[in-house]
Amino acid sequence: MGQRITVDPVTRIEGHLKIEVEIENGVVKDAWSSGTMARGFEALLTGKDPRDASYVTSRFCGVCFSVHQMASAACLDDAFGAQVPDGGRILRNLLMGSEYLYDHIIHFYHLTALDYLDIMAVAGYNGNDAGLNAVKDKVVSLVKRGDTYPLTPRYEPDEFSVADPEIVTMAVSHYLEALKIQVTAKNMGAVLGGGRVPHYQGIVVGGVTQIPSPEEIGRFKSMLAEVTAFIKNVYMKDVLLLGGPGGPLFPLAQLGVGGGHLNYLSYGGFPEEASGKEMFFKAGVVRNLHLDNVQSFDPDKVTESVKYAWYREQEPVHPYDGEQIFDRDKADAYSFVKAPRYDGMAFEVGPLARMLIEKNPTLLSLVQAGAKPGAVARHAARMIETVALADQMQVWLGQLIEAQGKPGFRIHDTDHWEVPDTAEGAGFYEAPRGALGHWMKIKDKKIANYQAVVPSTWNASPRDEKGVRGQYEESLIGAPVPDPENPINIVRVIRSFDPCLACAVHIIDPKTNQIRKFRIG
Amino acid sequence: MSSFRNISRRDFLKFCAGTASILGLSEAAVPRIAKALEGAAKKPPVIWLEGQDCAGCSISFINSSNPGTAELVLDTISLRYHESLMAASGHVSEKAIQDTIKNESGGYVLLVEGSIPTEDPRFCQIAGRNFVDIVAEAAAGAAAVIAIGSCATYGGIPGDCPTPGRGMGVGDAMDKGLVPKKALINCPTCPVHPERLIGTIVYYLLYGKPPALDKVGRPVVFYDKLIHDNCERRGHFDNGEFLTDWNSFEKRNWCMYLKGCKGPFTHSDCPKRRWSDGLNWCIGCSSVCQGCAEPDFYAGMSPLYERSGKNLRGVSVEKIGAYATGAVAVGLAGHFIGQAMTGRLGKGGPPEEGGGN
Ligand code: SF4
Ligand code: SF4
Repeated sequence: MGQRITVDPVTRIEGHLKIEVEIENGVVKDAWSSGTMARGFEALLTGKDPRDASYVTSRFCGVCFSVHQMASAACLDDAFGAQVPDGGRILRNLLMGSEYLYDHIIHFYHLTALDYLDIMAVAGYNGNDAGLNAVKDKVVSLVKRGDTYPLTPRYEPDEFSVADPEIVTMAVSHYLEALKIQVTAKNMGAVLGGGRVPHYQGIVVGGVTQIPSPEEIGRFKSMLAEVTAFIKNVYMKDVLLLGGPGGPLFPLAQLGVGGGHLNYLSYGGFPEEASGKEMFFKAGVVRNLHLDNVQSFDPDKVTESVKYAWYREQEPVHPYDGEQIFDRDKADAYSFVKAPRYDGMAFEVGPLARMLIEKNPTLLSLVQAGAKPGAVARHAARMIETVALADQMQVWLGQLIEAQGKPGFRIHDTDHWEVPDTAEGAGFYEAPRGALGHWMKIKDKKIANYQAVVPSTWNASPRDEKGVRGQYEESLIGAPVPDPENPINIVRVIRSFDPCLACAVHIIDPKTNQIRKFRIG
Repeated sequence: MSSFRNISRRDFLKFCAGTASILGLSEAAVPRIAKALEGAAKKPPVIWLEGQDCAGCSISFINSSNPGTAELVLDTISLRYHESLMAASGHVSEKAIQDTIKNESGGYVLLVEGSIPTEDPRFCQIAGRNFVDIVAEAAAGAAAVIAIGSCATYGGIPGDCPTPGRGMGVGDAMDKGLVPKKALINCPTCPVHPERLIGTIVYYLLYGKPPALDKVGRPVVFYDKLIHDNCERRGHFDNGEFLTDWNSFEKRNWCMYLKGCKGPFTHSDCPKRRWSDGLNWCIGCSSVCQGCAEPDFYAGMSPLYERSGKNLRGVSVEKIGAYATGAVAVGLAGHFIGQAMTGRLGKGGPPEEGGGN
């Protein structure tokens, strides 16, 4: 029997997560992932006006707010039969794109970078760069003042930590710069129609609410240029410098620490035309890293197991075919998160899944150079898709300007729908953290049932009825933890997924949980 | 060597100036603020707890450019515990909060984000403990408590969820005796506005006491005005010009009332302060105010995208609705509405409810 240790809370994530591991001979032998908070939004929505859903479900998560608003609006579009005009589709893409840019930047610099940097190494910086000396003085002055919160305390740096004073000082200066740039990236979305951040106001059933003025488009354009410059000149270079071949984190990448099940799933996101068949991020399924066999996603193959989750026991079923009743006292259960499975198997969702399914050449060149799927590859994939999106947003902006110049430009469908008496609908999207689905059933013009299966439900799930671990759990197996008092590799692996736990947990009304239809909108 | 000090000093003074303007103080107050914040022998400790939250308030907090959050976090306060930002995890983070509670008793400010489940307190646990117990312990030694966002103030969306985890705000938890009573400041909206939060923290650090509060615990300086009375679209309301089709560029700035705007029932300085560094706001994007600054948000404001069933003072919603759909002679209704709204709606006071539909 190995030694059991607990990391609770796992910080610098969204939500409340506890990780327990069993260590033997300095490596993780077994792991358990627990979501430790639940609210119950789906139950709240029952009986409400369906249009409220896009606003309320944004509050699933304050970090990836807009994608819930988006998936919910797509779900309403489907249920109501709304036909989103091209202007609305393009604006939605641009609003969603802004969220990705800010979210990925924050994740790298503010949520995860401290796992890899020995921040106190800046004291050893001896160069002449005025900006870097400023950073050094800053940190040194905090140390002298005897108060370095919230940068310390921390898990202590280990052999994988970057301690080169020049690199660390530069990274810390980028941490501060990124704090400003993420504001610009977020605010771009507010300017062009989100209204404010976090929690956009402007994505509704049928399209969006703000028909942009030339000034707003101009402002968005210059903000996008500023953010794109940071992404390409700073973010991209930092990730490659640290995690690319020859970089200080490449050994971690070669070890494949944090790999997991090697099954990858994407629903696809950013529709390029009205039907939604052409997507900028493609949908697909990859099993056991067989990239030569990317299969199409079949929504009927999704099931959820509650064997180890705090819900009344039932057989694994399609998300809509079962009753779901809380049982906070259930023996063996250890999480509020359920265990979604595809074709009976556990999958990873998120940037790594998307970029592998796309067979992104930059990512594949890293793999060729010896990087294995794992924590470092996840950071690389996230950076790669950020760069691609920033470029594509220029294209969408051009399309918007062109479309708006033509007569009959529309951003919202006001003609084809009323709140229906009875309907059901589904909305799918790729959130920054991965595959996201919302489903709704309407009766008497009110929500009869609402359900969401979110990215972190896939990634953070507990074991299923067969005892198969969730992706967080599996990805921890084999991670080196030489010092149980300092389990830094555990948080590195977990944070590489960019956990988002609040929305991973959902509870629905047992009596009305009977939606059977499940289709891609 | 001095370059950073200069940068830092400049940023810090900018921070002080930004805070002064938030608090409605003149430029002359800037040196006083700077002196008070710098003069302290050590940075005042702050504990930031997250319960049944979505981290939206944390993300909103770091969305402020002037004053900047980096200056607040690194130069102004000592942020001992904040799950979303702190370097530490697990037992290391637990030690940080415990050390502060023990060693700084009576000297730290407690911020609470997210609601507190009490019916079954196991619906939010951190480090194996129920959140309500963590709040109670931290509040006991706090000099003051600031509840931020709709969830921590009045329960917000989790407070309306019909599950055993139904959460409540800090004030209710204090009233119920679950959390020790302390000076409590409520900063609602979903999420909290970064400037209102930073302004409230700095006010407290400057004066050592909460700012003047209204009946529901909100700082008067931020929440005393009715949105409707300060809205940039109010002229269109008075003229009976309501936005009904989001595709019309010409009418893009018309009043949102018929789309469900709750501005006539909501108190906050959103129209003046706006959001996202002043670049836009809820009504600015032609969406509606959802009333998130009020204690009865969310359920009391639902349906969000239907015009409210609550009556504006002296004017029934049918009349406005009938006007908008042309069922009443336009001239007459327009005249009536214009008069009623401009003449009878008192500035600054909440509109009466009831008296009809
Ligand atoms: S109803 Fe809303 S949009 Fe219209 S004037 Fe009042 S606050 Fe502004
Ligand atoms: S305008 Fe209304 S909905 Fe928007 S933040 Fe202010 S109170 Fe909340």
